[in-house]
Amino acid sequence: MSTPLLQASGLTKAFRHKTGLFARPTTQLAVNSIGFELAVRERIGVVGESGSGKSTLGRLLLGLTEPTQGDVWFEGINHKQRRARDWKEFRVRTSLVQQNPLSALNPQMTIGQQVAEGLLVHRIAGRSGAYEHVAAMLERVGLSSAMMTRYPHQMSGGQRQRVVIARALVLDPRLVVFDEAVSALDVSVQAQVVALLRSLWQELDLAYVFITHDLRIVRHLVDRIAVMYLGRVVETGDIRSVYEWPRHPYTRALLASVPTMDSTVRNIEPPIKGELDASMVSQGCSFRSRCPFATDRCAVETPELRPIPAHGASQHAACHRAEEFPRSIVPQIGMVTERGTASREEMAL
Amino acid sequence: MSKLLTVRDLVVEVPARNIKILDGINFSLEAGQTLGLVGESGCGKSVTCYAVANMLPRGIVRSGGSVTFEPGGPSTRKPAVPKIAMIFQDPTSSLNPVHTIGYYLESALYRHQGLKGSDARMEAMRLLERVGIDRARSRLRAYPHQFSGGMNQRVMIAHALAAKPQLLIADEPTTALDVTMQAQILHLLEELKAETGMSLMIVSHDLGVIARLADRAAVMYCGKIVETASVAELLERPSHPYARALIDCMLSIDPDDLAPPVPIPGSVPLLDSLPEGCHFHPRCLRASGECSARFPAPANIGFAHEVSCYHPVAA
Ligand SMILES: Nc1ncnc2c1ncn2[C@@H]1O[C@H](COP(=O)(O)OP(=O)(O)O)[C@@H](O)[C@H]1O
Ligand SMILES: Nc1ncnc2c1ncn2[C@@H]1O[C@H](COP(=O)(O)OP(=O)(O)O)[C@@H](O)[C@H]1O
Ligand code: SF4
Ligand code: SF4
Ligand SMILES: [Mg+2]
Ligand SMILES: [Mg+2]
Repeated sequence: MSTPLLQASGLTKAFRHKTGLFARPTTQLAVNSIGFELAVRERIGVVGESGSGKSTLGRLLLGLTEPTQGDVWFEGINHKQRRARDWKEFRVRTSLVQQNPLSALNPQMTIGQQVAEGLLVHRIAGRSGAYEHVAAMLERVGLSSAMMTRYPHQMSGGQRQRVVIARALVLDPRLVVFDEAVSALDVSVQAQVVALLRSLWQELDLAYVFITHDLRIVRHLVDRIAVMYLGRVVETGDIRSVYEWPRHPYTRALLASVPTMDSTVRNIEPPIKGELDASMVSQGCSFRSRCPFATDRCAVETPELRPIPAHGASQHAACHRAEEFPRSIVPQIGMVTERGTASREEMAL
Repeated sequence: MSKLLTVRDLVVEVPARNIKILDGINFSLEAGQTLGLVGESGCGKSVTCYAVANMLPRGIVRSGGSVTFEPGGPSTRKPAVPKIAMIFQDPTSSLNPVHTIGYYLESALYRHQGLKGSDARMEAMRLLERVGIDRARSRLRAYPHQFSGGMNQRVMIAHALAAKPQLLIADEPTTALDVTMQAQILHLLEELKAETGMSLMIVSHDLGVIARLADRAAVMYCGKIVETASVAELLERPSHPYARALIDCMLSIDPDDLAPPVPIPGSVPLLDSLPEGCHFHPRCLRASGECSARFPAPANIGFAHEVSCYHPVAA
């Protein structure tokens, strides 16, 4: 087996928070002992509610944030061993695409200047070479090279997102982290960007981490998925198995929350209530405050991320009861009980 | 059912730039019914909401058509004054950061129901509990920035309920929220509608949200309604090529449905350079010569199913 492109182990990031003026600062584990491996040209999705630690994980992987504990290796080299020169090389071979294309672009620079910037800064090309490179890149993301002289405000949201993608890919990176890259866009633009990324990936030697809270988009863009809850990965596996038979109650609830195109699915109780509760992290399963299946054991024993034997080697879940849940998650097949409302337990079982 | 709202030939313009944002909008809404508005960004969904609520921002004016309410019913003394409340996409920025949640709700209760002092406080607590915020008493002293987006959207809904509205307008109420919170808010809206009998106008670019809440749906493109039907009919037999295209670019999580999305080519044109005729023709695969000559008149193609297109997609 060849070395993975990207590897992480025991990755942890703690932030100190002050909740009030006189409150004692508390430590929050935004990322909590995550292990991670990504092969060359592999695509992984990271999903979870906002605040679950997805962006922090992305920044740790790219060395944009120092971990409190743990290590990251890219092409076999530990981030901690990198010197200034190696970081430069690393920045050429990786990139980050963030949420809002309007704020990611400089309003005072033309599209051409912004896409060319990396080439010039890293002296990959001179001015004339850069021009050709940028023109080709713009065409590749479905924009006309005539767009080079435009400014961001002269473009639609979808066009701007293409520019941001062109800028991220212009140095021909081996790894890109997309952080909510399409979440804020119209569904029609999302569909365009999804189609674009699918076709670009076919042509490129590119691996990526696709961070999103949108379970519909990610499914069409990745080979594997990791579901995060309060800093931990609670379920991971190849995308097909996880969507066919989600094993962790949180994954099941996320999938069951996605609206369907079926107008007969109505008056359904939400699969889970409430929001992330960081006070749950210290001991036991951190999902227990919202889990309809929590038992006494869940309050004392933290579930390990473990392989689910009956279901291929690739799927792992961190739940004591992972084997008990059936394949189907109810709302997808449109169950409405006689009362007009399916209860939480009925929903998930 | 009795009619609550009728919108006829509504035109909204930006006089300074001589452009029409809405160009002849027609729809009506029955008491207790939910209408969904769907379409890409910039098609005029929010402006339609503002026009109905009589809240158009400065610089844009209603220059034609009518918005008529018939609140009806024996209990209504002032039939011409409808009670409309509105909630928005970004609750945290629509709440005033310097006021507590309690101040915000209690002043609305005073304005709409004349409640003061402990009566207002009790009612504010009841409303907060009703929208799913626990420890209501202490939460009344909190500020919006101490709440998550989902909690602030609940506060906005409580605030809307203080007006005892006959019509609630929800403009992308869950677009900025996580799916789990979206499911909670959608269910809350379902329950409140059943409890109060109010009508609802829900705007979303996500047809899944419309499918979940709406009875009828209107598809908007460039300031016009291009198709309107019951939501079930629209999802099963979309007839306008744009409606069809919107449905085709929806992504699914169904493990058996692996079809990649089919994107709509191009993007929504700017209002000052609208294509002649059917505004959709540069992006439409069915377009022919006549499409770029004249806007197609709306035609009935089924029970309460209207479409404006020369070459509608067959059922
Ligand atoms: N720079 C920071 N300082 C303090 N806390 C932070 C910082 N960045 C993130 N956090 C906290 O870490 C947690 C995870 O945040 P984030 O990684 O942004 O999650 P996600 O991307 O899944 O929404 C949140 O509770 C957030 O408040
Ligand atoms: N205050 C305003 N002044 C000028 N144009 C506006 C104003 N508000 C909205 N518009 C324009 O009206 C059109 C419709 O906007 P909007 O109703 O917000 O669309 P949607 O809600 O469907 O995304 C857009 O082209 C927008 O630029
Ligand atoms: S370990 Fe317990 S609380 Fe955690 S997800 Fe499983 S059943 Fe729920
Ligand atoms: S009128 Fe013509 S261009 Fe417009 S949607 Fe119908 S077929 Fe397409
Ligand atoms: Mg994030
Ligand atoms: Mg809008």
